[in-house]
Amino acid sequence: MASTFSGITTALSSLYAQRRALDVAGQNIANANTEGYTRQRVQMTSASGNTMPTMWSTSDGIGNGVAISDIRRTRDEFLEGRGREERANISYLSNQKQQFVTIENTFAEPSDTALQHQLGELWGAFGDVANNPNDRAIRTALIQQGNTVVDGVHSAYNALGAQWKANRDQADALATEVNTLAKNIAQLNTTIQRATAAGLPVNEMADQRDVQLMKLSELTGATASIQADGTAAVYLGGSGLVQGVTAREIRMTGADRLQNQTGDPANSVAVRWADSGTPAQVGGTLASIQDTLVTTIPKYANQLDGVAANLANTVNTLHAGGYGLDGVTGRAFFTGTTAESIKVAIDNPEFVAASSTAGTFDAANADALADLATTPGGAGETYAVMIANLGVEAQSVDRRQAIQAVVTQDTDAARESFAGVNLDEEMTQLITYQRGYEAASRVLNAVDEMLDVLINRMAV
Amino acid sequence: MAMQLRVTDGAITNRVLANLQGNLTRVGNLQEQLSSGKQISRPSDSPTGTVSAMQLRGESRAVQQYTRNASDGLGWLGVIDTALTSSLSQTGKVRELVLQGMSAGTASTPDAREALAAEVENLRKSLIGVANTKYLDRPVFGGTTTGERAFDGNGQFVGDTGTVMRTVGDNSKVQVDANGATVFGANGADSQLFTVLESITNNLRGSNTAGLDADLQNLDVAIGTIKTNLADVGARYNRIETSRTAADDRLLNVKSKLSEIEDIDLPNTIMQMQLQQTAYQAALQATAKVIQPSLMDFLR
Repeated sequence: MASTFSGITTALSSLYAQRRALDVAGQNIANANTEGYTRQRVQMTSASGNTMPTMWSTSDGIGNGVAISDIRRTRDEFLEGRGREERANISYLSNQKQQFVTIENTFAEPSDTALQHQLGELWGAFGDVANNPNDRAIRTALIQQGNTVVDGVHSAYNALGAQWKANRDQADALATEVNTLAKNIAQLNTTIQRATAAGLPVNEMADQRDVQLMKLSELTGATASIQADGTAAVYLGGSGLVQGVTAREIRMTGADRLQNQTGDPANSVAVRWADSGTPAQVGGTLASIQDTLVTTIPKYANQLDGVAANLANTVNTLHAGGYGLDGVTGRAFFTGTTAESIKVAIDNPEFVAASSTAGTFDAANADALADLATTPGGAGETYAVMIANLGVEAQSVDRRQAIQAVVTQDTDAARESFAGVNLDEEMTQLITYQRGYEAASRVLNAVDEMLDVLINRMAV
Repeated sequence: MAMQLRVTDGAITNRVLANLQGNLTRVGNLQEQLSSGKQISRPSDSPTGTVSAMQLRGESRAVQQYTRNASDGLGWLGVIDTALTSSLSQTGKVRELVLQGMSAGTASTPDAREALAAEVENLRKSLIGVANTKYLDRPVFGGTTTGERAFDGNGQFVGDTGTVMRTVGDNSKVQVDANGATVFGANGADSQLFTVLESITNNLRGSNTAGLDADLQNLDVAIGTIKTNLADVGARYNRIETSRTAADDRLLNVKSKLSEIEDIDLPNTIMQMQLQQTAYQAALQATAKVIQPSLMDFLR
């Protein structure tokens, strides 16, 4: 037979448990809009009677109330892993998309003002000189048009250089951010490890760590797995970034301006481990920036160099074969053969080699130069091919980004559905526990009244 | 715990937000198309369209240049045509004077012959002036000379044999000058117009009927040459005019092709815009309805 007062203890345990559960529901509601918060569930277990029946301690088979065995964090590690992966992918593609938008803006084709139009005007200016080889004003206009084209090439190249530099600076900042995040995660690992060992709840800290992990994945494509001791192990392409309570560091190395980013892998921009100096395999935003720095921008800068070289070569070859008004031949129209160095070589209108014979107004050479407008394989065509490549590449990134956005959204929704707070649900829980608390009070009341009868109203 | 199909407020908010964003992006794209009038504003909108647009723009610029070249060529040939027509009428006048001098023969008075000679001399000067006709500061009969004149005061050709060409189409170049040595005869030739005219003056003054006879033959050769060249100039004028018309047609063609590639289909785009706006409004209304009520609104 159980104790006379055991009913009070049973009711009390319920009061405690319901109140704790109410608190948890309150915590859930309070954090309904907290980023990265995982809803928590109270795990109640009915307290049993004696678990080991012995001869002298008997039990009536009824338990001793309720106990809270656990406050669980509803988290699906598999979904989290997928979420991190998809977020890394979308970060990569979104950054790529942004990069291509910038490059497309740099060239601003098709339009009535950009480089292709300027080239057309240059050929037209040669045509005008062919019509009026004796007119110095028209020759001057041609030289100005040459300068306009050169300016167009320069500004495109400089815009690419500026984009490169901005990305390079951002890469440094991101590396620092990654290192800070890794350090934070290692620190949280330490705290979680100790708290777990001491049997203390770590739910909120785990949430915080998940937020940091997600951010780290977006930046670097890092993967993570939760270890038995509660710590998170973080990997970059298979190498450990955070192991237990220690974090490694990464840093950006290599060229610091577009001109220095060459094919030479020794000075190429790279993400490296600070300790060993070996390349770190990254994904996410950092990978996109690395690809942009190493591949994309240098590629278009090279193609622009190709256009400049083509322009300089085709024009110079013809121009050198003609004669200026002063009877001198062999002059180049452009100097320099790269997008950065190309310049108009002549400033005197008399030096424009319009004539194919010395000392005449025979403008055959200017005419031949004007014909470069329609010559296959010329600068205009080289440039159009480059723009076509850019368009195809940008379009493909656009599409991949759009698809990935849907995938990421679905994964996020799945994660949120699983771990997020549903206010209706919490309200229901609230009422349930509220009623439970009220009912437990009634039990206490009933036991109290019963004891009152027994103690105060009996005998006498 | 059995996995429930849960829906949370956060999930709804995220999805609704994503949908609204998607809607708004499409509205934004259409608005950009409507305001710019272009469906290709960057290469990624249509890589092939962009390349076609660039090629067409290049072609359009080249064709415009052909039109300019043709106009310039027509200017040259028009001036030459006028000069040659004027030359013909003046040489015709000379021929009359020669005939007049020949028919009077030795019977005419020295004064009358001197008058004829003086008139021919004047016509010669005038013709040399015509032969030095300029277009945009260049002697049109002087070839590619950098000098001011095609013929000097003595009627000697001082130009060169270079030709002035204009490109009026792809690989289509037309000569737009007429060379003085061809039109009026080469220096030293018997039938060189100004030599003939000088000889006529001398023979009139010297009353040399036999000489005038030979002069008349030479003059007829010179007139014939001018006539041939005038016909040639007319033919080239026509050729350039045809090229210019062709260039204008091509320009129109290129522009309409460019418009087909680049420009939006206005009614279609407006229609899509309306649809998209309706969809956006519907999404907004649905969002307002979905988010608002919760269990809290019905408790107590």
